[in-house]
Amino acid sequence: MDNSATTPVDRRVVEAMMPYLTEKFGNPSSVHFYGQEARAAVDRARREVAALINARPNEIVLLSGGTEANNDTVLITVMLANNEIGTVQPIAEIGTLVRELRAGGRKYLWLHTDGVQALGRMPVNVETLGCDLLSMSAHKLHAPQGVGALYVRRSVRLAPQNIGGHQERERRGGTEAVSMIVAFGTAAALAREELDARIAHMRALRARFEAGVTERISDVIFNGDTERRLPHISNVSFRFIEGEGLLINLDMQGVAVSTGSACSSGSLEPSPVIRALGRGDELARGSIRFSIGKDTTDEDIDYVLEVLPRAVENLRRLSPLYQQAIAERACTAV
Amino acid sequence: MPYSNILKDHLARPRNAGELADANRVAEQTNPACGDRLKLSLRVRGGRIEAARFLAYGCPPTLACGSVLTELIEGLTVDEALRVSRAEIIAAVGGLPARKTHAAALAVETLHQAIGQIHRQV
Ligand SMILES: Cc1ncc(COP(=O)(O)O)c(C=O)c1O
Repeated sequence: MDNSATTPVDRRVVEAMMPYLTEKFGNPSSVHFYGQEARAAVDRARREVAALINARPNEIVLLSGGTEANNDTVLITVMLANNEIGTVQPIAEIGTLVRELRAGGRKYLWLHTDGVQALGRMPVNVETLGCDLLSMSAHKLHAPQGVGALYVRRSVRLAPQNIGGHQERERRGGTEAVSMIVAFGTAAALAREELDARIAHMRALRARFEAGVTERISDVIFNGDTERRLPHISNVSFRFIEGEGLLINLDMQGVAVSTGSACSSGSLEPSPVIRALGRGDELARGSIRFSIGKDTTDEDIDYVLEVLPRAVENLRRLSPLYQQAIAERACTAV
Repeated sequence: MPYSNILKDHLARPRNAGELADANRVAEQTNPACGDRLKLSLRVRGGRIEAARFLAYGCPPTLACGSVLTELIEGLTVDEALRVSRAEIIAAVGGLPARKTHAAALAVETLHQAIGQIHRQV
């Protein structure tokens, strides 16, 4: 239940990348057969990644992942979809605004968006979004960690971050991670093919999950926009308890989740995202992110619904906040 | 999240959770930095802690230290209980990450408050 953190590598992706870890080991910059074989594989992958977001292949800079893709200098950056609560931001509206400003003389105003969470979970089309740059990471798309891409609209000129080699049209030097790129390309092709089915599947499972939680556990609040939200994330605040204790209770029963509690991040401040929703400290500390994947099953959801109420009850039983609330409720009932 | 298996076990099966109906010593402390809370209730007879219960809100170390504390002090005399140190509590939960040792401090402070002798460590 933590597919927002990373996703299991698809078996078909592993099969596609395998030859590039074994016999097809060429350097794409080499002129001989081995090199050209690798070059062709990288180009194929680049086309698949471009197709997934309706871009042109030469607008795709392949690199090491979402973090690297985010490390450029741009003026406006807005996440396409938030990784904690899944809320989808109105990038297309912002894109229109940016284009208007650009037409009005602000020639170098670019719009960047982080599409890492959105990719493979909603249609991403750089033309309808109107963004100039878009970050992608393969490991949220059932490919391995350590590979990703930055979409760069053809009118945008970027200063390279990795200087030295001439790869990626001078935008990112260094020999390409061919097998990883092949994996990313395969994952992109599969995501494009299966997108509608994956979205429907994740949406249905999340509905099952949220209905189950509502039915079985009191004092819960679902965070994030219920409409404009990625289909795979359910962020829930459990009142009276702290998220990390719940995470550990669930982990001991084989359920992996994430929390916005401060404990996990190592800071004293609980999730700024949940607090920005106006939820207050207690609800921010008690927030848990459940994130579903294309391979999650009904049985997985039912198992979570079986262990979650007990784990919550276990912690509430020893929470002074809960005891206090129970006492107050008993008083008002009388 | 380098928590010990002992600590996790206290989270899954908290010992002595709750409040004593016949407590004669009760204390509650809040960690001002992070808002973690620990409430301790004791039944003390003839200078000995007969029973101890705790309630806690906050991060896992706070919950585990509360649970372990009640185990450590039940049956001790008041004087013995006052000698229970942070280090002992940390050892009893199987160790704590450095930035989480304040959870053991909260346990010691709450115990001292309950026993009625506020103790300041320099
Ligand atoms: C929204 C978002 N952006 C960027 C990243 C980082 O990507 P990467 O791990 O490939 O560096 C992540 C997750 O890791 C993410 O959720």
